[in-house]
Amino acid sequence: MANSEFDWPAKPSLVGTRVNRVDGPDKVTGRAKYTFDINRPGMLYARMVRSPYPHARVVSVDLAPALRMPGVKTALLVRDFANSKNNRVMFQGDEIAAVAADTEEHAMDAARAVKVEYEVLPHVTIVERALDGTAPAVFNGGNVRDARPAQAGDLTAGFAAAAKVVEGTYSTQVITHTCMESHGTVCEWSGDRLTAWISTQGVSGARENFASALGIPQANVRVLCQYMGGGFGSKALSVGAEGLMCAKLAKAANAPVKLMLDRKEEHLATGNRPSAESKIKAGVSADGTITAFEAESWGTGGAGATSDFPLPYLYQSKNRSRTHKNVFTNTGQQRPMRAPGHPQGSFHTEIIMDELADQVNMDPIQFRIKNLPPEAPNAMWRSYLLEGAAEFGWSKRHATGDKTPGPIKTGMGVSINTWGGGGRGPSPAHCEITSDGGVIMRLGTQDIGTGTRTLVATITADALGLRASQVRPEIGDTAFGVSALSGGSTTAASISPGIRVAAVKALDALKEKVAPALGVPAASLIASGGRIHVENEPGKGMSWADACKQIGPQPITADGDWRAGMSSSTTSGAQFAEVAVDIETGIVKVKRILVLQDCGLVVSRLTAESQVYGGVIGSLNFALFEDRILDRNTGQMLNPNMEWYLLAGMSDIPRIDVRLKDQPERGVIGLGEPPTVATAAAIALAVRNATGVTMRSLPLTPAKVLGAMRQTRA
Amino acid sequence: MKAFAYINPANEKEAVAALSPQVEQSMPLGGGQDLLARMKDYVTQPERLVNVKTALESTVTPVGGGLRIGAAMKMADVAEHPEILRMYPAISAAAIEVGTPQIRNQATVGGNLNQRPRCWYYRNEEFVCFKKGGDRCFSPQGENQFHAILGAGPSFIVHPSSLAVPMLAYGATFRLAGPKGERLVPAANYFTLPRQSLRMENVLAPDELLTHVILPAPGNVKSGHYEVRYKASHDWPIAFATVLIAMNGSVVKEAKVVMGAVAPVPWRSAEAEQALVGKSITEATAAAAAEAAMKNARPLSQNGYKVDVAKTAVKRAILRAAGIQTA
Ligand SMILES: Cc1cc2nc3c(=O)[nH]c(=O)nc-3n(C[C@H](O)[C@H](O)[C@H](O)COP(=O)(O)OP(=O)(O)OC[C@H]3O[C@@H](n4cnc5c(N)ncnc54)[C@H](O)[C@@H]3O)c2cc1C
Ligand code: SF4
Repeated sequence: MANSEFDWPAKPSLVGTRVNRVDGPDKVTGRAKYTFDINRPGMLYARMVRSPYPHARVVSVDLAPALRMPGVKTALLVRDFANSKNNRVMFQGDEIAAVAADTEEHAMDAARAVKVEYEVLPHVTIVERALDGTAPAVFNGGNVRDARPAQAGDLTAGFAAAAKVVEGTYSTQVITHTCMESHGTVCEWSGDRLTAWISTQGVSGARENFASALGIPQANVRVLCQYMGGGFGSKALSVGAEGLMCAKLAKAANAPVKLMLDRKEEHLATGNRPSAESKIKAGVSADGTITAFEAESWGTGGAGATSDFPLPYLYQSKNRSRTHKNVFTNTGQQRPMRAPGHPQGSFHTEIIMDELADQVNMDPIQFRIKNLPPEAPNAMWRSYLLEGAAEFGWSKRHATGDKTPGPIKTGMGVSINTWGGGGRGPSPAHCEITSDGGVIMRLGTQDIGTGTRTLVATITADALGLRASQVRPEIGDTAFGVSALSGGSTTAASISPGIRVAAVKALDALKEKVAPALGVPAASLIASGGRIHVENEPGKGMSWADACKQIGPQPITADGDWRAGMSSSTTSGAQFAEVAVDIETGIVKVKRILVLQDCGLVVSRLTAESQVYGGVIGSLNFALFEDRILDRNTGQMLNPNMEWYLLAGMSDIPRIDVRLKDQPERGVIGLGEPPTVATAAAIALAVRNATGVTMRSLPLTPAKVLGAMRQTRA
Repeated sequence: MKAFAYINPANEKEAVAALSPQVEQSMPLGGGQDLLARMKDYVTQPERLVNVKTALESTVTPVGGGLRIGAAMKMADVAEHPEILRMYPAISAAAIEVGTPQIRNQATVGGNLNQRPRCWYYRNEEFVCFKKGGDRCFSPQGENQFHAILGAGPSFIVHPSSLAVPMLAYGATFRLAGPKGERLVPAANYFTLPRQSLRMENVLAPDELLTHVILPAPGNVKSGHYEVRYKASHDWPIAFATVLIAMNGSVVKEAKVVMGAVAPVPWRSAEAEQALVGKSITEATAAAAAEAAMKNARPLSQNGYKVDVAKTAVKRAILRAAGIQTA
């Protein structure tokens, strides 16, 4: 592609450096207002009414007792159960109604006063029982759906060529997104115009969602999300039943309404990562080539939702077959969760990789390298595995099973990952430079906690030769233009090009204003170090403030949009884990993690590293702690809280070393998802290396670790 | 949460007078770390809360060679108290591991000893089990990975209090105050098994308060306390143990072995104690005593691993008491 003045600078001043979060002070002082913090004059509080049963027919709903409660202004059904064929609730937490009152406490009391008569129906929540047919048929068309099978090569020939064959059953559990900020909305109407503050991963998508569901023009809806406390995919695809009920209650009550969910509702009804189980049989030749990979898999994404995942993950086998069954259960529906499918695929594949490597006495890294696709800029695993091994001290890794005496065994494991993370347009950005030296970069994207404002300020300031703090990023508002949803790690790659284009164009306009005053051609000018000056002659120019005085009353404005060539797609990474396992208690402590990860051009180094830390910690939680536990008899969730739904605390988090592998020539690529793929498998493999026992099922609880060791001994 | 009245009595007498003989009608409020959470979850719905933090003592007083601890003392203060640490190190060790710093800064001794079970059936309002006046226990046929392996049935809770275990080991007595005056109940008689009283975990009447913990002189004992926790904080122990030993030369003269998180009460193991008496302490004798402690264990469908974990806790507490390095 021809060079253009918009290309990423060869010698950036700020891009790629460690810029502190520009909104850090606002967040730590509480000035940053999250949806939860939005309060409007005369605002009411709302709560949802939900089914306590996993499967029931709603015989009748009486809102009257709730309406008689103190402070209650209005109550609405989610749908007209009496006159609808759709009168069943399909999971614990399924929505029935919503109530708005003058205080949150009144709303809670009133929600409990709604009288719902249920006819409790037989439910299916146990995947095995759905599969073996002993569970009642709950879903029209059956509880189990075959996904499209995939096949390549010749399995029989592949197994015939194998020197060794490994078979195993692997499983990963359902986990929930557990965002710090729950799902929630504040809605306010002015006539037929709606303003909605919502904790969302996509303000533009939310606008479309509200408008079409409420039957009003999109132009009548304004959606704001200035700050949000995490989404991880659960706030990506729709405003949810609670978002719509909030808007409807606000309309009915003719007052602003706030509806935030509580922790229990979060666990039950706002999405999860589907479970995944597989039976895998794989063959390996004496030289360490995977000759055949046969996998049957299944999993539940809840009531009517799918559960597919990639298998095998990344490693190649010419001969392979794969079938998958989507098992429907009476549980909350899955939603995309940070790298959907990849953590499951990674775990199921990586565990059997080490089992195969042991069969042919190969080091896990050599074995992986042997079976990877060819190296390419978007497939750098070979290099990262070798480089990481050197830094991590892989040569000190013992063979499977720590032979040192005493109950504490240590071990190492490794695993790899990929993700797309490409950018796309339209993703317009608008830049203003005012005569008082102010710079505004305005665009309709949102910050889901990743640090988007810092990225906006960094790119803009870099182009204008300023400090990041001199730029005012304005985001999180549909009034600022359309923008894609923040999902699939696409935000940085989508918005960065437009920001740079707008900033460069604005600078060009400023140069035109400044050039006559300096008596030089505009093309000779550059912006650097807070000055506009002739290239290589810093003395021949003026300060940013003086330069902007040339602008006059009408600010400079410039618009940019996404451009091909400034971003690309597909990353690779490798992660190493070291653990200590107490074989007398089954407790696993992760000692350190090393991450090698690329994401093309690193725009904002601190926020990029922060994504990696968060991803690793999330995956550590997946490996050791998180588990949605349902009572096997009633199908109700037993740990819809943060007490028995375990999450790592500070002292459970090990040292994490992050090596970002810069690939500036590839342009910007997203990084939100890839770091959360590989850690869990690396930890489980480190446990295998420590104990000599293969852990094929997550989470690695003391019960499972001790159980697996007991089984191996027997 | 159901609306409630709040009473702030000035002293023990007023506090007792504000209680009611009816179960869960008028309830003492310590740090609220347990009670308020149950109220928010609609598990316990009292009409009236009686704040006992100012009415009861929150100090430590020397008595007869031992110590008397006021029930309103904060867990954080217990954990840091130099005299408690010097005389009853296992109590300090237990206190410091409870919950999180935030919880320990609020929670009181009285509240910790009288907190209710953490069984997840009890804590979720959907399940009306024995402890809530229902007619069954959900755990044996349900999810019981954290339930009891000793002394249980018809309820299978584990007693939640960390303090109760070392206090029982040190021979504590609890002073209770009620409408008819005070009574002194040894810790060993305070906690009750479900087969004795299904609804409650101790002998405290609804109109009584636990006002003091009275600890006798510790004597010449060495102590070891060991807790097995999955997460480093904000989590509950899977099993733990306090061990006290008095030595006669190089052999054990007398031993006390009390386990936590394994039974509906803090569980003293006479079997483990007998296994230690007359022995010198080695890895092998400690392991044999741990084995003895679990001889009568009756695990449920999913908590068999707790037998191994409890053995480890007992063994390591014994070794610690003897000053032997453990994992
Ligand atoms: C994540 C988590 C982990 C935890 N880990 C542990 C742990 O490892 N070990 C542990 O021991 N605890 C643990 N806790 C529980 C916590 O320590 C207790 O909730 C706390 O000690 C209760 O004390 P409180 O003063 O707040 O009691 P409150 O909540 O005020 O009261 C508890 C109960 O005792 C009654 N009560 C209070 N004071 C008196 C009195 N003087 N006389 C009679 N009755 C009284 C109340 O009526 C109530 O029923 C944990 C809690 C959480 C959330
Ligand atoms: S163990 Fe006790 S608290 Fe738990 S369900 Fe059974 S009776 Fe209720």
